[in-house]
Amino acid sequence: MSESSESVANGSLGEELAGEGALQTRSLWKDAVGRLLRNRLSVIGLIITIMLLIAALFGPYIAPYTYTEQDLLNVAKMPSADHWLGTDEIGRDLFSRVLWGARTATLVAIFTTFISVIIGVIIGAIAGYGGALADNITGRIIDIVMSVPGLLLAALIAVSIKEPVVSWAENIYDTTGFPLFADTTWLDLLVVFGGLAFVSWPGYARLIRGQIFSLREEQYIEAAKSVGVSELKIALRHLLPNAIGPVIVTLTFSFSSAMVLESSLSYLGIGVQPPQASWGNMIASNIGSWSYRPWLVAVPAITLAFVTLGINFLGDGLNDALNPRAKRSI
Amino acid sequence: MFVYALKRLAVAVPTFIAVLLITFTLTVVSPFDPVAMMMTQFEGTLDTLAREEVIERIRDQYGLNDSYWVQFTRWIGRLSQGDLGISINGQRDVLRMIVKTFPISFQLGLAGAVVTTILGIPLGCLAALRQNTWLDYTIVGGTLGFRTVPVFVLAPLLLVLFVLVLDIMRVPRGWDGLFQSKVILPVFILALGPLPVVVRQTRAAVLEVFSMDYVRTAKMKGLHMWRIILRHILRNALIPVVTTLGFIAEGLIVGSIFLDSIFAIPGFGGVAEAGFRGFDYPVIMGVTMVSAIMIILTNLLVDLVYPFLDPRIKIE
Repeated sequence: MSESSESVANGSLGEELAGEGALQTRSLWKDAVGRLLRNRLSVIGLIITIMLLIAALFGPYIAPYTYTEQDLLNVAKMPSADHWLGTDEIGRDLFSRVLWGARTATLVAIFTTFISVIIGVIIGAIAGYGGALADNITGRIIDIVMSVPGLLLAALIAVSIKEPVVSWAENIYDTTGFPLFADTTWLDLLVVFGGLAFVSWPGYARLIRGQIFSLREEQYIEAAKSVGVSELKIALRHLLPNAIGPVIVTLTFSFSSAMVLESSLSYLGIGVQPPQASWGNMIASNIGSWSYRPWLVAVPAITLAFVTLGINFLGDGLNDALNPRAKRSI
Repeated sequence: MFVYALKRLAVAVPTFIAVLLITFTLTVVSPFDPVAMMMTQFEGTLDTLAREEVIERIRDQYGLNDSYWVQFTRWIGRLSQGDLGISINGQRDVLRMIVKTFPISFQLGLAGAVVTTILGIPLGCLAALRQNTWLDYTIVGGTLGFRTVPVFVLAPLLLVLFVLVLDIMRVPRGWDGLFQSKVILPVFILALGPLPVVVRQTRAAVLEVFSMDYVRTAKMKGLHMWRIILRHILRNALIPVVTTLGFIAEGLIVGSIFLDSIFAIPGFGGVAEAGFRGFDYPVIMGVTMVSAIMIILTNLLVDLVYPFLDPRIKIE
């Protein structure tokens, strides 16, 4: 998205206005897009990702039914003209539910990634700028969080904070009567965001810290420092633009892993609760009947597999495209 | 060496204590109230005033009114005696639940780790030797693909494929020891999780060793390619692979949470899954702590074994 706006902005500036800097930016992004599109796997990944975003945004309008609508005359039917992917054990249209599930997955992934990036950037900056002691302390904290399997920790947090969060919301509703707090289904999502964000930020913190430490040694930073540019300005003008490539790549990968974690939590009955559609809880509620109604498990499972694979292909492609100097870093 | 081991321990112990602290803090905010649970047996026999008093008395008796730190140290004391509490659903001893199921999961996990190594090292070598060819991309991309797909997606899809579509196996269910054909599919699925880490690490290590002078010398001497790989490359390339053991342990633990119920294996992961499904707080805590101990111990083991494998590592 940002590539296109960049080139539009440059185009409108006119050829004669395009100075040295403008030309450089443009060719860098153009280069990256070119490299990305040359890689067949990442194009497939890009298409899958775009399809996911379309499904998440417009899914409810595309879907022929809602996610709770039951067709009691056609319960647990194989795919047909009325129900493209069949119906589940209580007669809900599977195609519609998969589309609603795309919305759930994308929502959780976007928010989780957003929250954990913010926490990660703050902690990473503290580690990078706060001196040796701060670096040591944050490093230990990251080690601790990473020594528990992410899924288990996220589940433990989600289970623990669920009740307090729900009663907190009920309290707010009782005292203020704010209509937002009348319905508590979105709190399930909030709890999931919290648990997932807590286990995903260490990756970003490490990345940011590493970027700060490695870029700091670069000569252009030293040069900027020697002419008296302030730390903040160096961070915003030099560190940030140079660190953006690796951050975008990590964003892509953690987007898909947040999706997998969300469906894992929902599969375990902790995350998104039925009747809300999540690919995880759709698989969970039908896994017992895989041998005689295989499509009920296969449809959400294949969707989840395709989406995570696609996003990871895109991430790999972006990695190659944004780090032209690094060799294929496998 | 002794000082080095002490230093490693000095890192592992605080990490573990911090994990305990986090777990304990989460119980404090958790919805699980043991007193409320005990009160259910007096349901209807006490009026409100007496009820309050009984609750207060029980709280005093079990020290629930003490300060956070007093409670924490008492909890640690109980843990050190192997008391992980009693499950809410079924009132069973959590430690016994874990001890009973652990050997099964351990055998499965060990088998999974062996399969990962047996598959991962040759695949990594192959990818390195055919660097930047379609074979390299297929191996690396393929194993990475399997890793991103969660176990609860892969397991039913493979079941549908092997049992319904290809019809080459019966439904694998239950546990009759490790050397049974029904174990093949679960072990294979478990092994796929950590496989890409092993493949990547092997590939990178082989590529690095490949450019070393002694490999070039061996090539010039006219040694046979496979001899070079076995004698010179693999030996040195295997060392970094050991560091992946921690990842392998984590992958196996998380994998078994989903796998056990799908294949009806009475294992550690099944206990964890049942705990989550039933919001069974003591079980969830016990499972989380045991997993953390396993991973911390594995990493400690790797740290301690590493200097023996690679004498170049300096031990301060």
